[in-house]
Amino acid sequence: MEVLQYSLRRLVAGIPLLLGVTFISFLLMVYFGPDQTYQLLGKNPTAEQIAEIRAELGYDQPFLVRYADYLREVATLDFGNSNSTGELVTDLLARTIPVSLMLILPGFLLGNLLALLLALLAAHYRSRWPDKGIMAFSVVGMSISYLIVIIAFQVIFSSSSGLGWFPVRGWNVHSLAEYLEYVTVPTLATVFVALGYNTRFYRSVIVEELNRDHVRTARAFGVPPAKLLYRNVLKNCLIPIITRVVFTIPLIVISGALLVETYFGIPGVGKVTFDAITTGDQPVLKAVVGLTAVLFVLAQLVVDVLYRAVDPRVSLS
Amino acid sequence: MSVAATRRQSLWSKAAWKLRRDRFGMLGLAVVLAHFVAAVGVWLGLWATGWGDVAGGKWDSVSSEHWFGTNLIGQDIFQRSIYSISTAFEIGLIVAVLSTLLGAVLGAMAGFFSGRATDEFVVWLMGVLDSIPFYLLVAAIAFALEGNPWSMHVAMISTFWITTARLVRGEVIKLKGLEFVEAAHAIGVPEYTIIFRHILPNTFHILLVQSTITFVAAIKSEVILSFLGLGVKDGMSWGLMISESTFEVLAGFFNNFLAASVLMFGLVMAFSIFSDALQDALDPRQVS
Repeated sequence: MEVLQYSLRRLVAGIPLLLGVTFISFLLMVYFGPDQTYQLLGKNPTAEQIAEIRAELGYDQPFLVRYADYLREVATLDFGNSNSTGELVTDLLARTIPVSLMLILPGFLLGNLLALLLALLAAHYRSRWPDKGIMAFSVVGMSISYLIVIIAFQVIFSSSSGLGWFPVRGWNVHSLAEYLEYVTVPTLATVFVALGYNTRFYRSVIVEELNRDHVRTARAFGVPPAKLLYRNVLKNCLIPIITRVVFTIPLIVISGALLVETYFGIPGVGKVTFDAITTGDQPVLKAVVGLTAVLFVLAQLVVDVLYRAVDPRVSLS
Repeated sequence: MSVAATRRQSLWSKAAWKLRRDRFGMLGLAVVLAHFVAAVGVWLGLWATGWGDVAGGKWDSVSSEHWFGTNLIGQDIFQRSIYSISTAFEIGLIVAVLSTLLGAVLGAMAGFFSGRATDEFVVWLMGVLDSIPFYLLVAAIAFALEGNPWSMHVAMISTFWITTARLVRGEVIKLKGLEFVEAAHAIGVPEYTIIFRHILPNTFHILLVQSTITFVAAIKSEVILSFLGLGVKDGMSWGLMISESTFEVLAGFFNNFLAASVLMFGLVMAFSIFSDALQDALDPRQVS
């Protein structure tokens, strides 16, 4: 009950953020975005045809009316049809978001779990060679561009001049075996890039906790290292870890996969959104941006409720 | 106490002394400076002037004439990759300086007026900009500015200031409760003088470290944005070289890709190591 009340309050408090995100995206992507009038018209249009199309797209309305229309569409999930494919926007998203999630989730999970393990290892052997080795690896990983990693991994694992184990491009998934075939190389690239950043972040959080008095006391009482790291350190580090993980989820759903999707030719939501921006496909843009904002407000809510779950001292009022 | 020991009393002289003893940090700085000399040479027109000329055949291999070979249409890859260093420094410096300035000013104002309308607005703005996926924002700004060559810089600045502003805001909230601010208030120093003359200089160590981090982030973003067709429009950059190379590598020709990747990796890694060393040297918990 308390959680429900709190959630409702937080949702109301998220309204300014929703308004801000939708306003800025409306301004940039719709109001100043590409003009679609002539793409939708045939050759040699008459003045009336132009006016008709402009009225249909809402270009003749004043700014505030268009923004209000946009908000109404976000609120009712009624975005209409995509201008470029004619597909219903909700169908388009229902088709592409699962692809992006399937593509990105394994890398996201592995990237965080492995990084946490490496960070615990590094923190445990602080200033000794396993720590130095892991941190050197993570600086190297952070210094290589994501794009370079993707290209290099594609050459190494997929191309004919490399090992040629996996398909070079595309997404033709009907079974688990095919899924593994298409998802492996993008996942390897994602994990490689995420490991550097995540390990560094988690290590600094863990080292900070290791310096606390209660850890020294536990060690003095003879708690074995593995138990100490799990019970006294990891559990107390959960708040920054949860924050980092939960707040990257909205970005993953919408754009985290853009680069991988573009490079490997995978029809996910990142690619669809990017194409929508470059062609000015407003119905799709409106849907994606509205959805991102809502996801962020929800992420904030989830984080706060999880704080409470992992740390009873946090009050929800 | 010797003279040398008394000289090491301020945060800055202690940090400089500590930084000079950090071998990896100094090595990083040396590599960055080497890149910078290469960039200055390009700006002065001393070398890499023929980056756009067709000087050889298709995919010539490494020779004394073309150190890294030539690309698809016969342009010299070595000259192109050296020219790209200057592009990287242009983007890195412009974005780092401007977004640090913006972050410092907005962060300091928000921190000083914390809890009031100014602060609420800045915090709201940071939340909003954080909630729009970066590449989508860049694409949107690029189209709103109708292909203006600066749209990439504008987009990076409009998102990269946020981290700096958050850190400065936190530090200013801490600083404004200290006695020297109270004293300034008491003798009637105007509020904005207090913010910008008394408080902000005390956050300079944060700004310095953040600007090096932003520099690296800008160079890395350029590569991805240029690949997506949203980045550098005129001239040459590592991002454009890598995006040229995407089909070359599948045909088994790696010179273009390797030249751009290795140089960029060197600069980014050296700068990151230097930035870490700087951060360690300036960390007040370790210096004092």
